Formats: sequence, C-alpha cells, structure tokens
Amino acid sequence: MYFHGKWLAHFPFLKKGDANVEKKKHGMTLANKQLAAGWLFLTPATILIFIMSFYPIIQALITSFKTGKGVNIKFADPLTYNYSRMLQDVIFKTSMKNTFLYLIVEVPIMLILAILLAQLLNNKDLKFKGLFRTCIFLPCATSLVSYSLIFKSMFATQGLINTVLQNIGITHENINFLGTAGTARAVIIIALIWRWTGYNMVFYLAGLQNIEYSVYEAAKIDGANGWKTFWNITVPLLKPTIVMTAIMSINGTLQLFDESMNLTSGGPANSTITMSHYIYNQAFGQGVGNFGYTSAMSFVVFILVAILAFINLKVGDTRD
Amino acid sequence: MKKKLISLMLVGAMASSMVACGGSDAGSADTATDSAATTEDGASTADVQSDDENTLTVYAWDENFNIPALKAAEKDYQDVNKDFKLEIITQSQSSDVEQAVTLAAEAGDYSTLPDIVLFQDHYIQQYVTNYPDAWQDVDDADCDWSGLGAEKLSYSTIDGKHYGFPVDAGTAIFAYRTDLLEQAGYSIDDVKGITWEKFDEIGQKVYDATGKHLLCMDGSGNDLFYMMLQEEGVSQFKDGEPYIKDNKALVEVFEIIAKMAQDNVLYLANDWSDYTDQAIQGDMVAGVFNGNWIIPTMKQVSENSGKWEIVPAPSLTGKPGYASNGGSSLYITGNCKKTDLAKDFLAYTFGGRSAEDGQSTTYDEALLNGGVIGTCAAAAESDVYQQGVDFFNGQAIYADIVDYTQNVPTVEQSDYHYSARTALGTALQNVIENGYTTEQALEEAETNLRFEMGL
Repeated sequence: MYFHGKWLAHFPFLKKGDANVEKKKHGMTLANKQLAAGWLFLTPATILIFIMSFYPIIQALITSFKTGKGVNIKFADPLTYNYSRMLQDVIFKTSMKNTFLYLIVEVPIMLILAILLAQLLNNKDLKFKGLFRTCIFLPCATSLVSYSLIFKSMFATQGLINTVLQNIGITHENINFLGTAGTARAVIIIALIWRWTGYNMVFYLAGLQNIEYSVYEAAKIDGANGWKTFWNITVPLLKPTIVMTAIMSINGTLQLFDESMNLTSGGPANSTITMSHYIYNQAFGQGVGNFGYTSAMSFVVFILVAILAFINLKVGDTRD
Repeated sequence: MKKKLISLMLVGAMASSMVACGGSDAGSADTATDSAATTEDGASTADVQSDDENTLTVYAWDENFNIPALKAAEKDYQDVNKDFKLEIITQSQSSDVEQAVTLAAEAGDYSTLPDIVLFQDHYIQQYVTNYPDAWQDVDDADCDWSGLGAEKLSYSTIDGKHYGFPVDAGTAIFAYRTDLLEQAGYSIDDVKGITWEKFDEIGQKVYDATGKHLLCMDGSGNDLFYMMLQEEGVSQFKDGEPYIKDNKALVEVFEIIAKMAQDNVLYLANDWSDYTDQAIQGDMVAGVFNGNWIIPTMKQVSENSGKWEIVPAPSLTGKPGYASNGGSSLYITGNCKKTDLAKDFLAYTFGGRSAEDGQSTTYDEALLNGGVIGTCAAAAESDVYQQGVDFFNGQAIYADIVDYTQNVPTVEQSDYHYSARTALGTALQNVIENGYTTEQALEEAETNLRFEMGL
C-alpha cells in the first residue's frame, strides 16, 4: 500500500496534456530521469507478476464459467451454473461452516493468548526473555505438514494423549479423537492455536516495544492497576498491530488446507473439511477433476477473504 | 564486531552446504542416467521416456507389492527379448499417477507421461472417457482375454475395447485372529457361513473378552458398503443412476453397519493411514475385511504370525460372501511410441501368454516377492499358489483366494464409485453421531450423490 501511494503521488507527470511532458520531450529533467529509472526497475517484476499471477487469475475466471470434465469441458449454460450449483452443494456448505467455525473459535483465542504472552514477555525484569520468546515462536518454524502429522499421531486412538489421559485417570477408555466429528474439529483448533500463537505474539512484541515506557509510568502515578493499564493503554496503542494480525489470521484461516488435509483428511466423512481442501478434492482428490467448479469455488473464497478484510479495515479505522 | 563475524560464518556455512547439496544432487542424477536399468528415484521424473528402442518406462507405487511384480515381468520377458529393459519409476502413492495423467492432459502435453502406467481400477473408466488421448487401446494384443477373470476385466474394458492388463485381483478376504476368537469362546468354524447379525453378536463377545474390534474400516473411505453389497450381487448404482434409498439390500447393509459401529464391533478409523497404521498395525482388531492387497499391511505385525486365518465373509443371508475391492491394472499411455513392444510385453507377461506356455515367471515371482495374487487362470495352476503360508497358520491362502475370485459377482460399476462411497460414509456418520434415522440419512445420501453426478 505504501509504495503504491508513493508512486501515485508522482503520477501527474504522466498525465496526457501535461505541459511538462510536452515541453521536456528532448532531454529529461533530473526528476524525470529518476522516474524513468524507477519504472525501468519496476518493469521486470510487473511483467512477471502479470504473467505468473494475473493472467492465470483471468484464465481461472474464464474456466469458472465452464462445466464438464477433461475433453468434454465447455461453457456452461447458463454461464453462472457453477456458482448456482455451489448454493445447493451440501459438502461445500459443510466446508464453509467448518472453516467459519475454525475462524470464529480459533482466531480470538489465538490473538488474546498472543497478546497476553507478549505482555508477559515484554516485562523488563523477566529473566531468560530470549529463551522464552524463542520457545513460543518455535512452533512457527516447523513445517505445516510435519506438525500436522505429529498432532495426528499424538491424538491417535492409541496415541500419546489417550495414554496420558488414562494414566492420570481422567478417561478409562481410548477416545477416537480423530474419528469423531466434534473432537476432530477440536483437535484442529488446538493444533492451529499451537502453531500460530507464537507467530502473532512476535508482532505484538514489536508493537509493544514502540510504546513509550513513560506512558506506563504516568498511568502508574495516576493509580491505574495492571489490568487498567493493559486495557486502556496497551490495547489502544497496539490497535494497528491487532488489526493487521486479525486480517492475516482471517485470511489464513479461510485458506486453511494443510491441517484439514494432513491431520484429519477432512474426515470423518467430510465433517472437518475446509473450503480449500474441498476445492483440492474436487480438482485432484477424486478422479478426473472438475476444474470449472473448483475455479468458481476459489473465486468465492477470494471474494469472502476480500469482504472480511474490508470489514476488518473499516472496523479498525479510527479516522472519522 | 563479534556478531558480524558469527553471522558471516553462518552465512558461509549455509552457502557451502547448499553448494554441497547441489553438487551431490547433480552427481546422483548423473549416475541415475548412467545405470538406466531401474530408476527407482521417485524424484527424477524428468526422464519418463527412454531413447533405447528396447526399453519401456512404467509408473508404479508400491515397493512391497506391485513393483516386485513388474520386476518379475521384466525378467520373464527377457526370455523372449534379451535386450528388453523395464525402467520402473516409483511413485509414492496411486494418486500420484492419477495426478500425473490429469496434469498432462489438462496441459495438453502428454510428453510427461511414461510408456505404461499402473492405474487403479475404480478410476480408469472416467479417465478414459474424459481424457481419451491419454490412452491407447490394447484390443488387438496377442493374449487370451477369457482367461483373465471377467469381473476384473469389466473395469478395464471401455466401450467394448480392452485398455488394460490386470495385475492384482481385488478379491476380498476376511481374516480372523483365531487366538482372540478362542478367548471369547469361538473357533474359526463358528464364523464360517454366518449372517452379519450373528457376526455382530460374536463381535460383541470378542470385544468384551479381549477389547479388540472384530471389524475395522477407514471411516472416510468406507468400502464396507460396496463389498457387502457386492456379496449380494447388488450395486449402489442402477442403469447409471444412484440406487440407494429404495435398494433393500443397501438399507439392510447400512443398518447392520451402523449397529456394528455402535456395538464397538466395527472400529471406524479417521482415514486410511489411521486404518493401516493404527487399527491394523496397532493391533486393535481381531478381524480384517478388505481386498487381499491388505495382506502385506497385516504381515507387518510379525508377532501375530500364525494367528490369522482366512474365510469367506459373512453375508445377509448366511451364505459365504465373496466380494472384490480395489486392485489395479497396467495401461499404455498416449505418449508411448513403442506401442507394439509395450503390447507384446504386457500380453506375454500379465496377459498370461508365458503362463500358458507353462512358465509363469511373472505371476509366480509376483506372488513370492510381492504377494500379488493375479486373476490369470493359467497362472493359478502353478505350485507356488498351492503352498501354505506361515503367517496364516499354514493355510494355502493363495489357492483359496483364487477360488474366491471365481465366485465374485460382477456388479454395475460407475465413474462415481468414490462419490457414492463418500455419500454413504457421511450418511453413516449422520446416523451414528447426529441422530439421523436410516431413511433420512440414505435419502440425503441419494440427493447428494445425484447432485454430485449432475442428475
């Protein structure tokens, strides 16, 4: 966004009929030279982004209006067939419900945990700060697939969690965590919290470093207790960071794939499947792919992410 | 200063290790092309074709199962053509092959495919229908099709033309742990020719006595419906349309499966790896019912050797139940330029020409080294098939399975086999967990399946 705005400020130079351009055709001014250099440097990346990203996006949009498989693919009649089909697709609705469940339950818990941990680890008097910070951030350094597989084996019917629960006497029988819809969803949420809390904490830590200590001192002198300080100083001053982490988390959760794919395989019977995972299944998971339909679903996810990010920005915007 | 030095050293170490990695990669690639005999490195998919006119390339996915079968075939065919070489390119799972075909076809560039691919039977029909250019038919191959098992060939025959050569039969086995049955007061004879209801009763006793489930299945890819229906000669499809809620046999099968799951007789694993690694290899079960390709998985638990025995499955009426599930065949891709060689190679080996000549190296060694049980009638006469297997208490299981194969009813197949499986699996979940009645669940399954099929 920043770069974009900055370049826009220079745009009047290029407007048609601008006197500067007409006059200084021969022999560019220094400013124009710099500008030309800027464009020159930007061009390769722009062309690459266009070919590698924008062109496929347009192609996918066209594909989303087609139906049929393999050589039998053709434009649907009516063109919006794939989009109207989605409204009746029970599994797509399930996947949407699941995704929003993960979103609504996981994101708030994760962000609140992250902000609390950041607050704790920002304590000036705490020893071994670096060690603790590293420990909490470390899950983020693990690959999505490997951590999913580790959670899968931990929560297996004869896995670590069941053994521990039985040994300390909480349960008496092995629980089929991943084979039961409710617990399987809970396992995914727990895994997500484990994996991403540290990541968000780092942003909050960075945000906290920017808050002047004198503000806290002033609050202390005014007699504010710890909770009041946190709620009235830390949270408002961290607001931009909170909005950013919320957008990133929402975006990430809506596109959730690895956990559903590797931890539960969407099962039992599609009850934990996410939207991205269902899209993948329709394209590559079950025989010949229905690419028209999957493209259409991808665009719906894209629009959902855009809408939620927009709402989030509006909510977080304090300028009136 | 100190920090700078350390970071400099770290960057240096990283860079040098990367260079080292790159170097060794290049080296191994070189040696791989030098010794072109068998490229078993799954990553080196760049060379999917060979310039040598006597070399064929093939995709396969199981080191313990179908790859030994292909090696046996290579050896077998070298008797006819001593310069012949088969380059087996290992894939990590069957879906890798399906995706390779999808990607090649969608990109319109078949040059990424090898000469021959091993392909799952339940998927091949829709791949041939939707990507006809990706395959070459083998209708004129020199072999006796009638000796290869009619049920098996029904998968690879499309519009009356043969496209594939069968590798392994999917004939289902029902294996019981005799020691656990005994602990519950039963013998192997008590589970022969029983109804599913009786099975449920025995299963509850076994669970109470031993804590083990008498039946297990992958809850996401639940093949029980298909197999139990096939025993009765019924399909989930009728004239190309879903046949679910009005299908009496299916309703009965569905109800008994739900009951078994609720009685702790049937353990529903979360997914495939949970089924193989946890349920079967984690020693949670006293019975396994699936295609016979599940045997290598069971054999991984060597301490249970000698405790298993195989009998036909229970059925709704109590007659011995015969079914089939899965299995794969070999297909020639559209990218194969040496079609005649490929056809002759496959017809001679898996098509059974060598077995008819009295030397069934392919099928014998496939069985000995991989446990692959073919459907070729001529090969089944070999001594190898008659020998007892220690893991199954000395039972001559291969001869038994070949015997079962003859009894498997042929039922209507559909491109939407796996969609039906998902729909029924979801219905079962709805009954067990969400309190649906059978009618509600099956009604919804049929609606969903019809929707999936665009009906």
